[in-house]
Amino acid sequence: MNYVEWLRVRNCLRIYAIVLGCLIVLALIIRISISNWMSDEQYTIDRVSREPGTTITHSMVDGVNRTVIENARERTTITIDNKGFFGGKVITITEPATERSRVNQHIGSFSFQESHSAGMQTVTTRTDEPVNFAIFLVIGMVAMLLVATILGAPFAAENKDHLEIALLKPVTRTRYALGTIGVDAAGIAVSGVLTIIAAIVCQAMFEVPQLDFSQTDGWLLLFVVIGPFAWYAAINAVTTSLKRGSGAVVGFAWPAAFVIIGLAGIPIQGTPVGQVVHTIFWGVSRIVPITYMHEFEVRHGVVGDLDLPSRVGILSLLMLVYGALAVLQWRRVEA
Amino acid sequence: MSTISIKNLRKTYGPYMAVDDLSFEIPEACVFGLLGPNGAGKTTTFKCMLGLARPTSGTVLYGGLPLVPATQQHIAYVPERSVLYDWMTVAEHVEMQRRAYAKFSVPKANELLRQFGIDQRKKTRALSKGMRTATMVALAIAREADILIFDEPTSGLDPINQRHVLNLIINESARGATVIFSSHQIGQVERAAERIAVVDRGRLALEGSVDDLKSDRKIVEAILPSETFALNGLAGDPRITRIDRNGRIVRALTSHDAQDVLARFEALGASGLRIVDLNLEDIFLCAVSPADATADVVEGR
Repeated sequence: MNYVEWLRVRNCLRIYAIVLGCLIVLALIIRISISNWMSDEQYTIDRVSREPGTTITHSMVDGVNRTVIENARERTTITIDNKGFFGGKVITITEPATERSRVNQHIGSFSFQESHSAGMQTVTTRTDEPVNFAIFLVIGMVAMLLVATILGAPFAAENKDHLEIALLKPVTRTRYALGTIGVDAAGIAVSGVLTIIAAIVCQAMFEVPQLDFSQTDGWLLLFVVIGPFAWYAAINAVTTSLKRGSGAVVGFAWPAAFVIIGLAGIPIQGTPVGQVVHTIFWGVSRIVPITYMHEFEVRHGVVGDLDLPSRVGILSLLMLVYGALAVLQWRRVEA
Repeated sequence: MSTISIKNLRKTYGPYMAVDDLSFEIPEACVFGLLGPNGAGKTTTFKCMLGLARPTSGTVLYGGLPLVPATQQHIAYVPERSVLYDWMTVAEHVEMQRRAYAKFSVPKANELLRQFGIDQRKKTRALSKGMRTATMVALAIAREADILIFDEPTSGLDPINQRHVLNLIINESARGATVIFSSHQIGQVERAAERIAVVDRGRLALEGSVDDLKSDRKIVEAILPSETFALNGLAGDPRITRIDRNGRIVRALTSHDAQDVLARFEALGASGLRIVDLNLEDIFLCAVSPADATADVVEGR
């Protein structure tokens, strides 16, 4: 009964998958391009390995392949613990200290630590650092928000020129509307899953991430899913009755949301005009789902100290109210 | 699915009265033509019948029952403008119909589309206006519905396909379906329809069997002695439904005994007297064009 919406979602996801595919190819090109000089450690390993007098020994320590490259003349020892493709590596290079000094860093699976002792420096590079899965969830949520925006006006699309097809299906308008929303919701969810998979694949091209699920709980999952659904429902509620101009609403939805949130963020202790602007936009921002997903606002206290369960609760409420508004409008449209 | 009854149907859009107290019945398995000038309320009537628009008042009953979602399984509608999805292929439209309607026949759709010369792989945006109309007609007929409603089904079609659509409509009626259609091509309506209703400015102007309407009415044509010749109250004669005058030539429509009217003209001294059978176009024009406008001329004032 909702075949047309299914086709719309399929086309949207097809284009989105192509975009993700391009990003993966881009990541692959970058990975290949930097493979030979991606780290000083690799350069050092290559250089020392070619030096005369270097000894290389292989052993197995606690199930880990250990390679020790040692050059007494250069006072350099390199230990590589390889835990396999999925396990990552720990590379420790001990050599005479140089003037260059690096900042300890932790990016994704990678970490770099440098220490100095008695004229020697030890650089430890790990590629087995745990990666918080919540990061991937948030990336997925951003993608879901984008797709939710694209799919956000299904009834307006029917209202424009196709009511004679949509309204003559042998089902109630409510059932038709709920079916349409259901198909879109599935599409939005799939886009999130595709994005998370693509992000993990991109990361794995550089190093397979050791995913850490310790900070991923039910509330976070609900937040990531319900936030985009609430945004979709809001756009849907605004556009359902429109016969023309729904594209403009969809196009300006994000800028409008950020303008509202931005103006709501004007400090209350500013000028009187600022105070009025703040009061008006603060009020409006309460019903904009993006408000509850916007980190900037969290830091500036516009959302207050709302914890994740409270945000999930508010977003759920907005989702249900906007969804009901969209369905009610759909029940009333006329060709 | 039996008789369709429209009772006191009224539809307003703000102050504009699109349909005003319309009542008529469409018998089962009948080809019914809905005629009227542009803006007469034909499309609005169809929309109210289909639940696409909510009537301001009045009812539409199918076999004595109001329209419910399940009734849509039995009704196929072809609107006057294309409502196909531009971005979908014709084949996807076929699939959409197959999924939505239990009796939709894919082989029949394929055959009809082939007859119209429509490539199903094409997106509908690539089709001409006429081909889109033909696609909608093919999809509607493949529904094998009990009631088919066509709003200007031949719009944009070439004469060959117009004839083909008309034949399809007649075939559907022969199958036992009730076919309701509007068209500005009165010749097509005359050929296909058994009954007609004429609506004008939202109101029912005329309704009945085409044969009855034609046999009940005659035109008496006469040539007057001069262009200013007075008709001595002939326009007010209750036996004359309508009278038109063009110079010396006068045409009087009567639904009574035409010979009586002819004798009246003869008594006035008119010449060239003859009784003419009406065609549907005459009936339509008489029903929708204002007769009062010619009264002064008729009386020679």
